[in-house]
Amino acid sequence: MTTTELSASAIEMAPQSSSKSGGAYLLIGPAVVWMTLFLVVPMAMIVYVSFWTQTTFKIESTLTLASWRTFFASDTYLSSLWTTIRIWLTVLAATFFVGYPTALFVGLFVKNKTLQTALLVLCVIPFWTSFLIRVVAWRPMLGKEGAINILLMKAGIIHQPIEALLFTELSVVIGMTQIYVVFMVGPIAFMLGRIDPNILEAARDLGAGFWRVLRKIIFPLSLPGVVVGAIFVTVMVLGEFATSAALSGRKVNLLGNIIVTQVGSLKWALASVVGVILTTIMAIVIAGLLLVVDLKKEL
Amino acid sequence: MESRLLKPMLAIYVGLFLLFLYGPFIVLGILSFQKGPEGGPQFPIEEWSLFWYRHILGLAPPSRVSPLPIGISLVRSLTLAFMTMVASTVLGVMAAQAFRRNFRGRSLVFYLIVLGMIVPGVLVGLGSALVATTTGIERHWYTTAFATHVVYTLPFCFLVMLAIFNRFDGSVEEAAWSLGVSPATTFRKITFPLIFPGVLSAMLFAFTLSYDEFSRTLFSSGREQTLPLAIYSTFAVEIHPNVFAFGVLTTLFSFALLAVYAILMSLSVRRARRMAIQEAV
Repeated sequence: MTTTELSASAIEMAPQSSSKSGGAYLLIGPAVVWMTLFLVVPMAMIVYVSFWTQTTFKIESTLTLASWRTFFASDTYLSSLWTTIRIWLTVLAATFFVGYPTALFVGLFVKNKTLQTALLVLCVIPFWTSFLIRVVAWRPMLGKEGAINILLMKAGIIHQPIEALLFTELSVVIGMTQIYVVFMVGPIAFMLGRIDPNILEAARDLGAGFWRVLRKIIFPLSLPGVVVGAIFVTVMVLGEFATSAALSGRKVNLLGNIIVTQVGSLKWALASVVGVILTTIMAIVIAGLLLVVDLKKEL
Repeated sequence: MESRLLKPMLAIYVGLFLLFLYGPFIVLGILSFQKGPEGGPQFPIEEWSLFWYRHILGLAPPSRVSPLPIGISLVRSLTLAFMTMVASTVLGVMAAQAFRRNFRGRSLVFYLIVLGMIVPGVLVGLGSALVATTTGIERHWYTTAFATHVVYTLPFCFLVMLAIFNRFDGSVEEAAWSLGVSPATTFRKITFPLIFPGVLSAMLFAFTLSYDEFSRTLFSSGREQTLPLAIYSTFAVEIHPNVFAFGVLTTLFSFALLAVYAILMSLSVRRARRMAIQEAV
């Protein structure tokens, strides 16, 4: 670069450095516009359309509470609301109890960093398979002639195949637990890995048994991880419809399944009502979980 | 003490846990070699064969099992994933670059972007379908579905780049600026090569998330199906081992993608190291 070029570009630079935050708005602008147009506006639209008037073939922007009344007057919709809440709580508990010991081992007992990473990678690898394939993979496992029944019969534990394994609420819970448990393991293992070993040693030196250390020290310190994991699982399970459709033989209808059927028959207003209800539940749960732990302070 | 027994017990538990995670795949993998076309999607294996793999590739003789509608939907999914990858990586790098400075509304913008990965796909899909129908915009995988895919992948790219910029040493850029190099050239010659590993990770995230995305696409893609939609439509009827063979093939494809990523990553790391050595000399 010659001297004249240098000084020329130096002059070019001068005004830019004085309007630094102006540059930031230019950089952030496209992302903000994109998220507003394609996320905020659609979400607002769901709320708005839930008050529209639905006729058999058309939807009009005359405001009414009719679709809301339809939802709360119908046994089918209300029971799907309870099914959703029941399955969400069951899966939440299952992912916690199945995942916590694994997180405990990976985060606290494995001292070797390489082994720790390797175990976490092993947990993540299944995510490289298509989500739908992971769901459908449970069918040959749980079916009447499925792998589990065959193994149990060969082992002589049962003599009749267990039919309740597939196309029931249980199969939906099993499938969802397997798919989402890793989102519980990851954050908990992360928090456990940060515990100072000296604290645990001190507790042990003072004569505390393992269960006491677990209850009084380890669990409270891992709570932020549990909350983050619970938020992940909650959001994903409440938005589910594919697992329940594929593993329950359409017997378990979650709110997500109601949305899909309503959209399929062009009942936009009712689908929107269900959407608003789902969003509300999710917001309440997340707000409640964030009250338990102040994440900004902990992470 | 208890903990001496505890560790091996936990190790056994983790083994069982991994079996729980992988069991279905193992079974699925085995059953994909079921005899065709009469063999069903369950044990026992009547005869080991590659029939269902040939069936997917369209090489098997016609039978009562109709072939999976892969071909064109695969092309659509790959194109959509590529478009999503480019758009969300560019937007994500720009946004993260902006976050290196302070500006008004910073935390609000942060939550706005992160919201994209939190809101469930079925709601985003429903919302964009509502906007499209009420404004009379036709839904296609390359328009409405593309927009909702980027809403989902942009937060991942943004967070990856934010983490990269967090560890970024700004003094090299300042050195370039003080030498009179224009910001654009500085970004191209100095910043971008340094953040390239992060950009690669962001691209990988965006591509794979979009390629596999299902719930967002369901309402927003219109009549032409992407690959996950085509697969989902076969679930409604009886499933055959061809779905299992397809599962094995897509998993292998994902691993190939991961391998490409690993190779590019190690190349860029090696190049960075070589440049550092040159500078030192």
